[in-house]
Amino acid sequence: MKLWALIPELILGGLCLVLVPLAGWVRGQWRVLPGLMALLGMLACLVATARMLSWQPVMAFHGSYALDGFAHVFKLIIELSSLMTVALLMIYFRGRSQQAPAAVAVMFATLGAVGLASSRDLGLIVLFFQMMSMASYVLVALERCHRPALEAALKYFIYAGVALAIMAYGLTFLYGLTGSLNLQTIGSGLRDADGLWVTLALILILVGYGFEITLAPFHVWAPDVFAGATAPVAGFLAVVPKAAGMAALLRFMLEGMLGEMAGWPLWLAIGAAVTMTLGNLIALRQNHLKRLLAWSSIAHAGYLLMTVAVAERETGALAAIGYYLAGYLFMTLGAFAVGAHLERATGSDSYEALRGLSQHAPGTAGVLALCLLSLAGIPPLAGFAGKVFLLAAVLEGEMIGLAVIAVINMTLALYYYVKIIAEVYLYSPVQVYSMPMKKDYLALYSSCLAGILGLGIWPGPLLALLEVMG
Amino acid sequence: MLSLTIFLPLATALVVLILPRSRPFLIRWVALAGALLAFTAALGLLTGFDAARPGLQWRATLPWIPPVNAAYDVGVNGFSLALILLTAWLLVTVMVYVLRNDDRPKGHAALFLLMATGLLGVFAAQDLLLFYLFFEVGLVPMYFIIGLWGHEDRRYAAMKFFLYTRAASLAILLSFLALYLLMEPHTFSLPTIIEAQPLAQGSTAGGWIMLGMLLGFGVKLPTVPLHNWLPDAHVEAPTEGSVMLAGIQLKMGAYGLLAIMLPTMPRVMLEYAWLLLALALISLVYGALAALAQQDLKRLIAYTSINHMGYIMLAAALAVLAPTASVQALALNGGIYQIISHGLLTGGMFFAVGVIQDQTGTREMGRLSGLSRQATVFSLLTGVLVFGSLGLPGLSGFIGEFQLLGAAVSWNFGVAGVTLAALVITTGLYLRIVISVLWGEPHAQAAAMREPEGRKLAILGSLTILSLLLGILPSWLLGIIRETTRGLAAG
Repeated sequence: MKLWALIPELILGGLCLVLVPLAGWVRGQWRVLPGLMALLGMLACLVATARMLSWQPVMAFHGSYALDGFAHVFKLIIELSSLMTVALLMIYFRGRSQQAPAAVAVMFATLGAVGLASSRDLGLIVLFFQMMSMASYVLVALERCHRPALEAALKYFIYAGVALAIMAYGLTFLYGLTGSLNLQTIGSGLRDADGLWVTLALILILVGYGFEITLAPFHVWAPDVFAGATAPVAGFLAVVPKAAGMAALLRFMLEGMLGEMAGWPLWLAIGAAVTMTLGNLIALRQNHLKRLLAWSSIAHAGYLLMTVAVAERETGALAAIGYYLAGYLFMTLGAFAVGAHLERATGSDSYEALRGLSQHAPGTAGVLALCLLSLAGIPPLAGFAGKVFLLAAVLEGEMIGLAVIAVINMTLALYYYVKIIAEVYLYSPVQVYSMPMKKDYLALYSSCLAGILGLGIWPGPLLALLEVMG
Repeated sequence: MLSLTIFLPLATALVVLILPRSRPFLIRWVALAGALLAFTAALGLLTGFDAARPGLQWRATLPWIPPVNAAYDVGVNGFSLALILLTAWLLVTVMVYVLRNDDRPKGHAALFLLMATGLLGVFAAQDLLLFYLFFEVGLVPMYFIIGLWGHEDRRYAAMKFFLYTRAASLAILLSFLALYLLMEPHTFSLPTIIEAQPLAQGSTAGGWIMLGMLLGFGVKLPTVPLHNWLPDAHVEAPTEGSVMLAGIQLKMGAYGLLAIMLPTMPRVMLEYAWLLLALALISLVYGALAALAQQDLKRLIAYTSINHMGYIMLAAALAVLAPTASVQALALNGGIYQIISHGLLTGGMFFAVGVIQDQTGTREMGRLSGLSRQATVFSLLTGVLVFGSLGLPGLSGFIGEFQLLGAAVSWNFGVAGVTLAALVITTGLYLRIVISVLWGEPHAQAAAMREPEGRKLAILGSLTILSLLLGILPSWLLGIIRETTRGLAAG
């Protein structure tokens, strides 16, 4: 095995080790240092991962860790999201004491997420899940003097602990049935296993995965945690655990539950339909941006899950998921970046603070509008192309009813996205505040817009690249 | 050249966006120049168009999303060329109309130009995914136009417009995706799909795909019972928005019905033509009766749009049901003529209502009377538009209705009877406009009416002259669309 193939993990792990003491040590102006190092590290990871896209798949550590196209694509998505989150966190916490620990926590969470994309071993899966979750609690609790943040962190901690424990319990069933922790061995071993036990194990395991990707009914933590956390952290939670969870779920189903074992596509399809409908229905009644985006991210998890449900029968599904996540990261992080900007300027993310934003800050308002239109799936933005590919995969996978439910949901979702755009553009402001467009925000916004527009207008190159996934 | 026509407005919009905010007139003039350039380019398309040659011309293709076989593929036939010319000219008139308006000119001009690119693209796209993309680019700016520059209840109307039309688009998208997946190898290419005819008669998939498209295009057309968004959108939209909405946007539905639905699934349509026919007749009668009940002049014209679009639906139904190809072609000719004529006449009437409202501050028909005494030229031009709409011979509206009625008579007297009844109601309706608004003793509020500025008269004049020309020399437009209708009828 080539050690080179582990370069991203090594960089992330090494940086984590260096940054922990460094973050505790830096004072004053030096607080930016861990963040800068994290940025550089993520950048190096991105380059290294991108270089590996064309490599032949490698199985490391006796087949328990896969370095294949599938993993590389998810790693790219995760690393890019983390890179942007670190940048946003540094802007958000500029000159405050949280700046240093925030960067470190993101690094840990990213290492966990990246590891999940490659893990083919039950032990590793649990380990990396825990690593990602632990770092996320820290991120949520960054604002130590902010009561809602602490409540949110506690809630997150308890829910995650229970969900992951249930999942681990389910995983032990698989070990009991097959005597192996390796997904591939489990996949072949389960052929002669008792269907009832497999179904029971599947349900228990789905609790854990469902928690990370906010599959209903295991999504209840998300809105409160998002609302309690700061906007950059909420953005991170909306993207990275979801992408990592999707990667882990896909690998688990495709390698460990071969031949649609225990009817998992149907389970996932039902879960997807419930998740998107619930997410959209509740999002209709929100009146805070972060809460709304939390519910909308639950709905988006539903769209993605319906494609996971057809992943085994339809080869194009993987590329569709990869594409959607790539677009999703830009539009979601863009929207949360605006949320962060607004939170700093007004101290609130309510619709009232958003009202008339186009008059205070036309540029920021434009970014928010484009991100929301993209989330709503309006062409020629990334969200549109993504939805087309998802729907095409689901139709091709012959789950036509599910596709129709998704389309009805997308119509429903229009209402709340457009409601915000209406607040921003069609009403006069109620609060007076200034929200200057600084260079750092401008850079972040432009990269989000470039992603949204670029992927939307010219999806060909990325789709061609995503062929390495299957 | 075709791509140039499509993207000139977009390029102008980008130029407008970088112009300084402090120079509203510069922005307006640049926008107008861009519109004129686009119209010139469209005229260039016309001069290079060989009307005797069937099939697509000015075709340009470029790979767009190779993994799913979607391409940037544009081309025109006679029908789409006529619509492109209409779009480009209405864009010019809109830009002339708003020339002195400096209410946030930057966003206003940019949105209209962006919308124009979407609309022009819709009529040229030969790839279903590209069609959908342009379709949405044509729609979304209208939300902002209604919401930002509209009247009192603009936010409500804008939201309603957006939700209705987007839900409709998603139904279209699902149908397109289903068509794409039925093709082997998968493709979005419209000519390929038309040639391959993937849908058999009596197939369940065919029924669903047909319903999806009917729902989508029916909302946009709009046909009863999917028309509910239209009156609100029209009443709340600013004048120039109403003109683009009635003049062009409704035609996207008509175009989709005639140029996409009919040729891609003629055998399925044969099964469901009764549905189209029923919707058409209901829209014809309902639109006319509902218009009769209106007091608000703008709302009245909005309802007559529903009636007029009923003719298009009727044309689509007749094009399938009529026994001979010549009657089918007659119905299609009538439908397409009606589409173009409605764009000119209703566009013009919305301009006229805008002028009236600007000057008198009301659209209530009860408070408007005797306008002809205050503004003779304006009333004359408006009168011609009104008579054109009621189908007076010599004006463009007559040709379309006449051909459709002819096709209906030669197929079924009952259908012709209902059409004629609707025609009688609308005649009364339009005469009411002439009598109570233009003629008679001036109402106190109408005393504020003055002859509008020259540029507004020029807009109205250009539309009446075009309507007259099309009414007197129908062979000109019929010549352009002949090969298209022949192809559609033969399919």
